[in-house]
Amino acid sequence: MSEFKVGVLSCSGEECLGGTISRLATRKVLEELKMVETVTLCLPLYLAGGNEERNFAKVFPTISVDGCDKLCAKRSTEKYSGKINGFIDISKIIGAENALNTKIVRNKDLTDEHFQMVDQVAGEIVKMIGSINPDAYSGKAFHGCGCGSD
Amino acid sequence: MVENFAILPCNGLDKCAGVISREIAIKLCENGKNEIICPVYYRVAETKYNKIAGEHALLVIDGCHNRCASKLAAEKKLKISRKITVTEEAKTHHIELKRNLRLLENEHALIESILNGLNNVDNTIVLTLEETNFVFEFVYETYQSGKFLFRIPKNQEVYFNENDCWAWVIGNRARIGVTDFVQQNLSDILYFTPPGIGAEIDQFGEAGEIESSKSVFELISPVSGKVISINETLIQKPELINENPYELGWVAEIELTDSESDKELLIGFDQYFEIMKKKVEELNG
Repeated sequence: MSEFKVGVLSCSGEECLGGTISRLATRKVLEELKMVETVTLCLPLYLAGGNEERNFAKVFPTISVDGCDKLCAKRSTEKYSGKINGFIDISKIIGAENALNTKIVRNKDLTDEHFQMVDQVAGEIVKMIGSINPDAYSGKAFHGCGCGSD
Repeated sequence: MVENFAILPCNGLDKCAGVISREIAIKLCENGKNEIICPVYYRVAETKYNKIAGEHALLVIDGCHNRCASKLAAEKKLKISRKITVTEEAKTHHIELKRNLRLLENEHALIESILNGLNNVDNTIVLTLEETNFVFEFVYETYQSGKFLFRIPKNQEVYFNENDCWAWVIGNRARIGVTDFVQQNLSDILYFTPPGIGAEIDQFGEAGEIESSKSVFELISPVSGKVISINETLIQKPELINENPYELGWVAEIELTDSESDKELLIGFDQYFEIMKKKVEELNG
């Protein structure tokens, strides 16, 4: 079985719809669309100094998913683990007005339209994963799954 | 009720507990009287959240034992008024959290229980011993055994139990911790698990854990009452207990419920000093 994994870091996006969609789209990729090929890196743990998360991002390809153009996940990942392989700014996909909507942040308040946005973003993440060449990472060792579920 | 709080959840995305921390934070903000702090954005741009944290009491919601939100609060030098850890709450409520990130029946039941617990606690902001201007100055007696030096505070306000824990009692508050005997025996302390803020602790009840590579020590509280503050610094620097378990290494502050009764079952410096010497001799013998 391949040990190749892509790390997906979602922003925490506590204050706007973009953040909620970022989390949901990331989970959709992890739990449904690319279960085998992906792990999530817990961004708060990563920032708090989680060595497993940071080491993973140094060795394996990593994609950040940000809810708005503040790009917290991208900036943080690059700060501690170097260049990332790709980043998604959700506001560019669903529009800044939607992404910065502060009225709707809870999952239970989302409409079908919002879930379509989740699917759209998840699709972009999958495309980005597909563009990464696993051969470029063959033979690289990483001890631990990087999911932080220890 | 939880009102006029700044709420800092860990927002972990890799464990259910992190997802629950976020859900609790969002629910607590639905009344429009609390403010949420995004733990990720806080690290990127702190001005906004420093203001919010400065104007409100702070409730920290950690998902798991990594305690990322607590670490962030310590890093930003924020004073925590209340704190919960979702995995510990799950244990208390006998709810098993699954690896799945989806919030199902069990998870929603836990969220409701935690919210009820938070909303039923009196949220009066409590002052810590430092804020009440007590001078923290111990006078020590020492006992040397081989290369090990044991210091014991002689102050009259410091009481001990035979479980090698101390309580420094001032009025209706006490600061608690472990003695030199504990830290010397444990050797290098690696982890500190504090008691939960707001937790009611019985005299001789458990008040946190300290772990070294050798063993785990459960701190047995010399006093009964409500935990009003913990030594946040120990979460990142548990080695401070080795450095000085009475001053830098204090563990928690307790609002006492019955200090006079508690004192009847505690001992003072003279008695504890003799007990500790005997324990050291037995270990060496």
